Amino acid sequence: MKKINSSQPNNVIYMKSLGKRYDDEAGVLDALKNVNLEVKEGDFIAIMGPSGSGKSTLMNIIGLLDRPTTGVFLLDDVDIATLSEKKLAQLRRDKIGFVFQSFNLLPRLNVAQNVELPMVYAKKSKAERKQKIEEVLAKVGLADKARNRSNRMSGGQVQRVAIARALTNNPSLILADEPTGNLDTKTGDEIMNLLKDLNRQGVTIVLVTHNPEVGKYANKVVWVKDGLLTHKKVSV
Amino acid sequence: MILQNIKMALISIKSAKMRSFLTMLGIIIGVFAVLVMIGIGDGVKSQVSGQISSLGSNLLTVTSGQIGGGSSTAKNGQQQKGGGGFNFAGTVGTSTLTQQDVTTIEQTKNVIATAPFNVVSSNVTYQQLSTSSPFVAGTTPNYSSIRQLKIENGEFFTTNNNSSSAKVAVLGADTKQNLFGETDAVGKEIGIRGQAFTVVGVIKKSDTGSGFGASSDDIVYIPINTANKITNSNQIFRILVQVNDPKNITSTQEVIKTELKANHSGQEDFSVLTQEDLLSTFNTILDLLTAFVVAIASISLLVGGIGIMNIMLVTVSERTREIGIRKAIGATSSNILSQFLIEAVILSVMGGLLGLGLSYIAGLLVKKFAGITPVFSLKALVLALGVSLLVGVVFGVAPAIKAARKRPIQALKAL
Repeated sequence: MKKINSSQPNNVIYMKSLGKRYDDEAGVLDALKNVNLEVKEGDFIAIMGPSGSGKSTLMNIIGLLDRPTTGVFLLDDVDIATLSEKKLAQLRRDKIGFVFQSFNLLPRLNVAQNVELPMVYAKKSKAERKQKIEEVLAKVGLADKARNRSNRMSGGQVQRVAIARALTNNPSLILADEPTGNLDTKTGDEIMNLLKDLNRQGVTIVLVTHNPEVGKYANKVVWVKDGLLTHKKVSV
Repeated sequence: MILQNIKMALISIKSAKMRSFLTMLGIIIGVFAVLVMIGIGDGVKSQVSGQISSLGSNLLTVTSGQIGGGSSTAKNGQQQKGGGGFNFAGTVGTSTLTQQDVTTIEQTKNVIATAPFNVVSSNVTYQQLSTSSPFVAGTTPNYSSIRQLKIENGEFFTTNNNSSSAKVAVLGADTKQNLFGETDAVGKEIGIRGQAFTVVGVIKKSDTGSGFGASSDDIVYIPINTANKITNSNQIFRILVQVNDPKNITSTQEVIKTELKANHSGQEDFSVLTQEDLLSTFNTILDLLTAFVVAIASISLLVGGIGIMNIMLVTVSERTREIGIRKAIGATSSNILSQFLIEAVILSVMGGLLGLGLSYIAGLLVKKFAGITPVFSLKALVLALGVSLLVGVVFGVAPAIKAARKRPIQALKAL
């Protein structure tokens, strides 16, 4: 993979003049226009904005689920523009840990098997997988729930499993999309505190939300409106 | 990775047991039907070849008409119909063999014995009982020694009986049982074509059993001269020839052919067959039949494959979200492809294994109730598993490709 030095060292995300245009029967839509964004190692950044603002598009691009139409996107100094679908999938596996609003665990698998899955795709050895499962489950406080099924657990617990799964391949960043959207306030706070803890231990987190209460946990907030990054704020 | 895929496939097959079973059903039935048909075919084959080879490898059979030793079986199939020994009753037309041919063969080098053989169509009666099932055969005492018939009771008729056209008969075990039950038959009188024959002997039941329901023990032997007298003809349907050594069988076969051709003014309107010729004639017919039935049974394998494809396509649609999740956490398209392909193959192979088990059970039932021992060869087993593997791959590819092509963003939005 081609490595390019972005202007600053320690950049996990570097976006320059990035745009995304949807051009289909429904017409032309510029979902993102001239986006410039840097996320550094150890950052906890919130991308905020109302629905339809383009924040989902931005999240999909950061998560390597979609490609920009124009501009530069370096993830860990790798230019993703030239990568094949397969390389993107491998980069996604190794560099990004997803946390979704609706948890997205596989219902047929138990907790340990769900957490194991990214490592299976990364072809890690069995011993390594076993050790890592214990490690990350302990980190999210579910060490005793390895054999449980997700459909017998509370929403907060399920989201913890999802965070554990996101951590298994030691990703460059955790991409959390409305992680508290399906949880009550108290559980939501617990999840946000867990993310905050992980951030303090050095994990880079990109949080996508429309909820200012949730956004407060981030060190840095980026506002998206009509496809433009309108506002950046560094919290105290 | 493959191991993980197998594990995943088993989990998802287990989570929908009923559906998985119904999906497999087509393959189960297909493999079952194919294996049972091949098994019965092979079983009958080995039974009959056992019977034919029990006649001895140093035997030649001279028969009227041209039977191409297995090559032209279709048009002569009728003549070869019947399994146990030799069902002469199936022969049609007037025989071209004569007493002169018998004499010629007797004088041929390496020939130890000959036995001409004739058929009398007649009911056999005893007191009030009358049966049409036995096969009434006119022959000479040599027949008994060539076929190595074992006498249960009394004796086979003698050369004197033949030359004096004596009205004596030797009964096969089944005929004796049918007419006399447990009572002794020797010395009793039976009726053939309205004439009284004295029973002089009873043959032991043969251990090769029956083939195709036609018992080789339901038979009545009478002297051939007597037979010619009561039928008013001197036709000879078959001549059994015993050669001194199996090594000389082919050369003697050729010599007899040449000599008989001279007798028949150059016409080869007869056949000289070895036991192997008979066997291959029979096998060709049976193979053809088996292949036909197996071809029909194979259609259900095709239908089973389509069933698997159908269900896998539904499964892929239902599990769109799962595919999206897997892709988001790092599965490549080929990971997804192999996952669904392996699932289809496992469904198919499990079906194949179940079909295999069922056909084995059916084999035991057939053995118990139909008296045929089906033979399950390794070849058939490998064929069944190979075919179900192939079906899984062929019909699993399309759904797996569909799964692999799903875009993660759209897939994640699915319910």
